[in-house]
Parts: sequence; C-alpha cells; structure tokens
Amino acid sequence: MMLEHILVLSAYLFSIGIYGLITSRNMVRALMCLELILNAVNINFLKGNIFSIFVIAIAAAEASIGSAIVSSIYRNRKSTRINQSTLLNK
Amino acid sequence: MDLPGPIHDFLLVFLGSGLILGGLGVVLRINPIYSAFSLGLVLVCISLFYILTNYHFVATAKLLIYVGAINVLILFVVMFMNSSEYYKDFNPWTIGNGLTSLVCTSILVSLISTILDTSWYGIIWTTRSNQIIEQDLIGNSQQIGIHLATDFFLPFEFISIILLVALIGAIDVTLQ
Repeated sequence: MMLEHILVLSAYLFSIGIYGLITSRNMVRALMCLELILNAVNINFLKGNIFSIFVIAIAAAEASIGSAIVSSIYRNRKSTRINQSTLLNK
Repeated sequence: MDLPGPIHDFLLVFLGSGLILGGLGVVLRINPIYSAFSLGLVLVCISLFYILTNYHFVATAKLLIYVGAINVLILFVVMFMNSSEYYKDFNPWTIGNGLTSLVCTSILVSLISTILDTSWYGIIWTTRSNQIIEQDLIGNSQQIGIHLATDFFLPFEFISIILLVALIGAIDVTLQ
C-alpha cells in the first residue's frame, strides 16, 4: 500500500516538473523544476538506496553548474528570460 | 523506525499533501522567491518520506544536501535576479500552456494506471535473493557503506571526480 502511494506521488511530481520546465519563462524557475524532476525520480528508488546517493551527488553538481551559467548569462545580458536567445533564428 | 499504524498513515497523508501543494506552488506562483520556498517544502517532505521507510541515512543526507545546500544556492541565484519584470507579461492561459498541461496530464494518467496495474509484491519477492543477508539487523548507513566499498566502488570514485570537476568549473565560470 505504501509503495504504490509513494510511486504515485513521484509520478505526480514528475509531471508537474515537466509542466513547469516547459512553461517557465524564467531560467531560475526552470532550474527549480529540473530539481523537482530529479527528486521525483530519486524517490522512485525506494529499495535501491545506493543509487539515490549517486543521484543526489549528480543533482548537486548539476545545480551548481546551472546556477553558475545563469549568473553569467544575467551578468552579460541583464535579463533571464528564456526566449531571449534568438541569434540562431535566421 | 516502525511506527504504529495510524501514525504511519497520518504522516503519509500529511507529507503527501505537503508534496502536492508544494509542487503546485513551485510551478504556479509568480514571485520566484515564493516558488523557491515551495521547493524547500517539497524537499523537506521528500526527505521525511525516507524516514518512514527506515532509510535514516538517506533521509539525513537529502535534508542536508538538498535543503541545506541546493535550495540555498537557488535562493541566492533568485535574489540576484530582478524579478519585477515578470509581473508585466504574465499570462497563464496561453495556447502553449494549455497544450502542455494536456500532455502532462496524459503522462500522469498513464503513469498512474501503470503503477496501479503492476503487482509490486511479486517483483520485490523475486529480487530479494541478491540482497545482503540480515539486512534488517544492520543500520542503513552500514548497508550503504558495505555497498560503496564492495559493489559500487568504481562509481563512487567516478562520482567524486565528477563533483570535483563540476565545482571547479562552476567557480571558473563565475569568476570571469
């Protein structure tokens, strides 16, 4: 009973994270929704406790690099809208 | 820990509702600082779930790393941004949003129907043979230590190299 409840909650978090990642116009909100997706997958590994530790480490590395990239983009262009990179459009 | 039945169920319902409301709060709130706080609530509820399933080390590790480090990092990044420009052009009912919500709802429904149709206890009983004997007598941190030192030694080394390279790269990008 408990296993299925946790798996259903992880599926809910996963779909909410995908929705937020696609429809967010802010880069920091996209990073937050990416963390939601990663946590939803992590809570699926209930009976495999080693792999959760590896997913935690990978999520930490990715969050630090993502925030460094967002900071440098903000410093260069003064705005963090997702749809402002249109140089490849033509 | 083995809690009595009603406390277990009450905690499950409480954490589940915290997860549902926090997840909606991350996606739907306009102010990015409020959505970062909702992310903190979601991460706390997830790490408390691990206490319910007797994995105490993983619960503490997630609480320290996710809430203590990653969420604080995201809050710092949010506070550097100028969030007043998002209140002007906020329109929640565009066509793209509606289409995405349809797709995500269909993904959620298909996942839930797959989860409820699978017989999990059959799968768990057949894979129980290749786990550590006397698993309930060893604590969770000792289980993880045994796994890391014997079966998963090579991924452990690679993960430490990945963390080192990622942190050096992040510092190098922000110093320019």
